[in-house]
Amino acid sequence: MQRKWLILLVFLCFITVVCLPVIERTEAAKTKTEPAKTVEKQKSCTGCHEDFKTVLPQAHPPVTGNTLSACLECHAPGERGKAEPNKFAARLHLAHLKGPVKADCLVCHTWQPGKSFGLVGGADSYGAPSEEDMNLMKRMFTSAAESVHLDARHVSKDITCAGCHGKDLPKEEDTVENAKCLECHGPAEELAAKTAPKDFPDRNPHKSHLGEINCTVCHSGHAESKVYCLECHPTFEMKMK
Amino acid sequence: MEDHVIKGKMSTPISRRSLLKGSVALGVLASSGGLALNLTAPGSAEAGTKVMPKKWDETIDVVVVGSGFAGLAAAAEASAQGSKVVILEKMPTYGGNSIINGGEYNSWDDEYHFREKFKLGNDSAELHKQDTLKGGDFYGSPELVEVLVNGATPALNWMLDNGGLKLREILNRTGGHTAYRTHTCVEGVGRCYTEALRKIAEGKGAKIRLNTKVTWIWRKDADPKSPIEGVEVMTGKKTKNIKIVKALILASGGFSRDIKMRQSFNPSVVPELNCTNQPGATGEMIRYAQAVGADALQLAFIQLYPYAAPDTGTLDSPAVYPFRGPGYGIVYVNKLGKRFVNEMERRDVVSRAQIQTGMKPTYSIFNEAMIPKMGTKEEVEKGMAKGRFIKANSIAELAGKLGIPADTLVETIKTHNRYMKEGKDPDFGRQFTKVMIPLEEGPFYAIAQWPAVHHTMGGLRINKETQVIDIWGNTIPRLYAAGEVTGGIHGANRLGGNAVPDCIVFGRIAGTNAGKG
Repeated sequence: MQRKWLILLVFLCFITVVCLPVIERTEAAKTKTEPAKTVEKQKSCTGCHEDFKTVLPQAHPPVTGNTLSACLECHAPGERGKAEPNKFAARLHLAHLKGPVKADCLVCHTWQPGKSFGLVGGADSYGAPSEEDMNLMKRMFTSAAESVHLDARHVSKDITCAGCHGKDLPKEEDTVENAKCLECHGPAEELAAKTAPKDFPDRNPHKSHLGEINCTVCHSGHAESKVYCLECHPTFEMKMK
Repeated sequence: MEDHVIKGKMSTPISRRSLLKGSVALGVLASSGGLALNLTAPGSAEAGTKVMPKKWDETIDVVVVGSGFAGLAAAAEASAQGSKVVILEKMPTYGGNSIINGGEYNSWDDEYHFREKFKLGNDSAELHKQDTLKGGDFYGSPELVEVLVNGATPALNWMLDNGGLKLREILNRTGGHTAYRTHTCVEGVGRCYTEALRKIAEGKGAKIRLNTKVTWIWRKDADPKSPIEGVEVMTGKKTKNIKIVKALILASGGFSRDIKMRQSFNPSVVPELNCTNQPGATGEMIRYAQAVGADALQLAFIQLYPYAAPDTGTLDSPAVYPFRGPGYGIVYVNKLGKRFVNEMERRDVVSRAQIQTGMKPTYSIFNEAMIPKMGTKEEVEKGMAKGRFIKANSIAELAGKLGIPADTLVETIKTHNRYMKEGKDPDFGRQFTKVMIPLEEGPFYAIAQWPAVHHTMGGLRINKETQVIDIWGNTIPRLYAAGEVTGGIHGANRLGGNAVPDCIVFGRIAGTNAGKG
């Protein structure tokens, strides 16, 4: 009887020590981003672009150099954390992320998982994203470039990620506070006045019986925005523009 | 690695992967000693070996689940005791059903002494208690009802003095009550009270976390000495475990929106019925508490609000008028223009009578003179603009607008006026008082109404200190509950206007006891 239990115990230990890590590694491998193996690592922008002249707007002063550090002499990078347009960051990203280009982040960016995130040819680091963070950013940037959600609508007007999220690279559970939205779309009373319906003024999505609620209850940055009032009041005529 | 199904001596087939994970878990447990109590049935979504968290992501003194009246009142008192309090709210906005509630509050007195001021007769806490117990067919616990009626007045004054609550100069006698004791707040909506409570709670340091859903309650085992250890919560896609030091207060409301749970206790509350509640009113917290040993009672008692808007079931501002009106002479008629019930009756009686007419909807009839006793002219005008109130200069004209037989309605109202004068109603036994207004002078108004699922009287068993009781009658250490999530106060039927005092009185007790730790 006792020998049976000893064998079982040994078996259990074997499973724990050997098999479980194997299972975990194969699972992890599926979600890893594929850096640089299939995409040719570019040492400079001229890897794809013959000359900056061919991609810059006509009125742009001439640029010498062939990496992004040349641009950064005049232009601030995307992450300044201000709710204001940044044409440089917005248009650069849009141009490279939209079809048919759909470039991988690491064509222009350098990344050491958990350690640094910068630009090819640049010395600065803008954060220390993990693999999970990078996967998140890939999804968000794709959405910002090509979706119909608020992120894309903001970027098309040159408001980049930092405009809503501030200086640091956002994480999965991050949200945007009302004060940030109201920097451009406020003050709150004026916004409410703008959306007060003429027929029934109290059916105002920005001044309801729910009091002060988060903008993000209805307005999603990276997903479909929904009018929350309609959950209980399906007959109300309320449409987001 | 293919999942291979193994059928062993166990009755349910287990996949190889889960067997491996299970054996690892057991191996881990051997070193940490941490299986957690889980009374759910095998095969259900919450079943499986629940393992006590080895490490906790956060530690909080007092965790309150739900940001309605009870949760906010509890948080206010617990914070006042000096505890760190966090309210977890699963919805994206705060307030649950409380913030959209009709704002009706029963209290035998208040610091303005409205009842005396408007000469509306006598009342007492004892009378309030008797009405409440009778209104619930004596299923309610007299001890708990005693707490409610004694705490109602101090709690009202607390909100008036500390929270900036403002009341209308109105006092109503509503269905099932024998005195004028139903107060209304200025805006006519629960937000008045939730904002007052939130001001007190946040003023004392309590914090509300939105979009945070509790997904499990941690307790080691069913030993009466084993306290609640913490909760598992989900925000977005992330799950984390919060260690609780002093208390977990469940103030998660009722389950009127939980059709599966409703049907399992009371099949007559059919899915076709509309519901007045916000979408988050579901019963998972009751189940999580039961899974760690809590007792629950009277879950079959589910109330329909008789006067909800017929097409949507919404309890909007106009829908509160038929509730406030009985004490001033409002009349209920069916589509044939006839009365069908004693208007002074309790909600379940009125709802059942409406459903028995077999004709949806029924109508409340009132006149201009009654408006200041129930609400405001402005509110009625807004309601008319939205097509909720119908106005006419004569009863016959009103009948025409409603599409019901004019002759019959005129006759019904005339007869009722006579009954009021004589002080006797041979048709339905309505009790008349001196302050009731006959429907003689116009203009006249009507509003359509139909029952909708509204309140679940049953829930977790508590004692008068709001400690949750297990199936053997022991208190579960560190577990408290207050508000609609509890059972055994309102019995078979809750009297209108008793919910708000219930939540706030018991919420305060829970918070005070929890804060003391």
